[in-house]
Amino acid sequence: MAGVLVTHADQPLGRRIVKLLWHDADTSRIVALGEGPPPRAFDRFRIGAAPRLVYEQLDHARQRSVAELFRSRRLRDLDIQAVVYVPRHGTSPEGPPVVARVPARTAEARLFLHQALEHRSVRSLVALGSAFVYKLAPGNANHLVEDSPLDLDPAVPAALRTWIDSDMLFQAEMSGRRLRVALLRLPTVVASGGYVYLHPLLEGTGGPRLCPLGFDPLCPVVADKDVAHAVLATLASRATGVFNVAGRELVPLSVLGRWTGRALLPMPGPLLRLAGRSAARLGLGEAFDGPLLRFGMSLDTRRAAAELGFAPRYRIGLARAGDGALRLEAVAA
Amino acid sequence: MSSDEQLPDPTSRPGDGDSALGSDPFADWGGPDPLAPWLDALDRIAAGEILAVAAESGPVTPPREPAAIDEIDEGPAALAAPSAGARTRRRGVSLVGKPARTPRRKREAAETAPRAPERDLLPELRTLARIVGEDPARRLAAIGSHIDGWDRFGLSPRALQQAFPLFYALYRHYFRVRSEGHANVPVTGPVVLAANHGGLLPFDGAMAVVDLLLHSEPPRLARAILDRFAGALPWINVFMARVGQVVGTHENFSRLLDDGEAVLVFPEGIDGIRKTITQRYRLQRFHVGFVEHALRARAPIVPMAILGSDDQAPILFDVKPLARWLGLPTAPITPTFPWFGPVGLLPYPVRYRIVYGEPLCFHERFSASSAEDPAIVRALAGQVRRAVQRLIDGHR
Repeated sequence: MAGVLVTHADQPLGRRIVKLLWHDADTSRIVALGEGPPPRAFDRFRIGAAPRLVYEQLDHARQRSVAELFRSRRLRDLDIQAVVYVPRHGTSPEGPPVVARVPARTAEARLFLHQALEHRSVRSLVALGSAFVYKLAPGNANHLVEDSPLDLDPAVPAALRTWIDSDMLFQAEMSGRRLRVALLRLPTVVASGGYVYLHPLLEGTGGPRLCPLGFDPLCPVVADKDVAHAVLATLASRATGVFNVAGRELVPLSVLGRWTGRALLPMPGPLLRLAGRSAARLGLGEAFDGPLLRFGMSLDTRRAAAELGFAPRYRIGLARAGDGALRLEAVAA
Repeated sequence: MSSDEQLPDPTSRPGDGDSALGSDPFADWGGPDPLAPWLDALDRIAAGEILAVAAESGPVTPPREPAAIDEIDEGPAALAAPSAGARTRRRGVSLVGKPARTPRRKREAAETAPRAPERDLLPELRTLARIVGEDPARRLAAIGSHIDGWDRFGLSPRALQQAFPLFYALYRHYFRVRSEGHANVPVTGPVVLAANHGGLLPFDGAMAVVDLLLHSEPPRLARAILDRFAGALPWINVFMARVGQVVGTHENFSRLLDDGEAVLVFPEGIDGIRKTITQRYRLQRFHVGFVEHALRARAPIVPMAILGSDDQAPILFDVKPLARWLGLPTAPITPTFPWFGPVGLLPYPVRYRIVYGEPLCFHERFSASSAEDPAIVRALAGQVRRAVQRLIDGHR
């Protein structure tokens, strides 16, 4: 592949993907897009007169910025053939919840898909989606395949609805000939140190969370490094379609909370709903509640294994660091 | 916490540098170490790589003994590779690579003494073996040996071991289960066990699971399919999953058979448990999904009769309007319920009898695509129903 464009490359998962692409010999150029200043981690990749990594700062949800970038001569010269769409975090990993920005996720998905379809040289789009789009039946664990129904209940929390909207958006373009679209549905993404992405209850800063009493759903997890490898495998395989991507580990939510430093405070269901409503009235943000906190899932990754050659390489668990403290680590299997 | 610190270089491995570790996400937790149960789980993570992280704080004593696996708490990594060094934990402090010293005389005596079979068991299983006997403990160990923490349906070998003594006592002493026809259950590969359902609480399922576990060689854990109602109940849904029972979605059923499991179904569903005393041992309408999955997975169906379950809590009346109003599957009146409160729901100490019938190998006569034909599926489900009814009638 000649050149790859990565969105939200200033966020942890985007950075991880950019780093892996940089080490990939087949990738000649990487255009990393971010909303903030270039991350320090990229400094060593941007040395020289014509570095392989180019960082562009733009507002991903603003149509004009995105359209101008895709029409620019600079991007044309870089010969971008693939777009890796990394969605924004629902909450900032380093700050307080940014619920107001969540609806921007659907707009961004629409913008980048449209521009990728219009652009002359772009041939494939790999989008990262969420596995929390599936409809969960009652039970501690639902085994989910790619064809399992999505949760189209109108009562789905806003934090999940954006994922479902963008998921359906990408699926609608999968039959087109102009662009190869692959959608990777990811469960909770964790990384060394306790970073969490995608799980609506756990992502964001550490600290206690409320959850319903009497439930401890099973949660699949995947290491951020495995996600980056899955993206690379998808780009190399030129596959289209939906793929579940998950690691080997399946852990109950309570254990995942302990692992990632988010203590869970169980509360009876009616009280939890009351607390959520009170928090919303007081302007403390939307408290997440829904089947996801009661019913668990496991993902069937056989399609990704067969068509992408994806197999998780990292195991996730607690490890003792040099200072004697236990921390979450992704360890090569 | 700086996100740069959270994300080590993709080519780096834990222990290569502090940047991989980031700041302590648990630092703000006060009080006792909430991670204490997981300290042992840490010790079981692939030892070499994790020891490399620990080694940064100082030299690690080379391992001198096989892994000490006392007090292992469950976790995906907990049952992974055997650890290379013996470790001891005291209130949140893990001593890596420092085996507990044993007096020389005791060590020599242990080496020369004849090995009792029980000594081969893991410490937690030794306790279990003292309660239920060595053979059941070994069978449980065999069931859990290939599961790393939790399986994809939530089964936890540790939870199974903890719950087993209670159900074993019920099996041996309360319901005094007798069973026959175990040879009809295939030793390996996917199989669907189709049984009648009865009794207000699903002790018939529990007894069938224990019976198959105790009488199959190699031991098999039947994965009973639960109604979705049970999957929505607090605590119950977690307990059922941890001991290996699975809510009956199509994907779950299909994957269980793909994995070569023995799947226990009660095709009567909820209608089975709300039969009144006049309908005892008369099978209700069968759901047919299990036949579809058996055909697709090329699995035989073994009819099973469970006698005793319909007598454990005979329903005199089912107050259906009340059940609908409460959102429950049934509102039963039994000789003891509601007169004695929740205690009245407990089963009577009836004697159980479990009979396994000849396997029905529909997959040898019908192709997998026959599962799409509702007429064929209904007819085959009818055959299974008649086979179960014959077993019931023949052994009552």
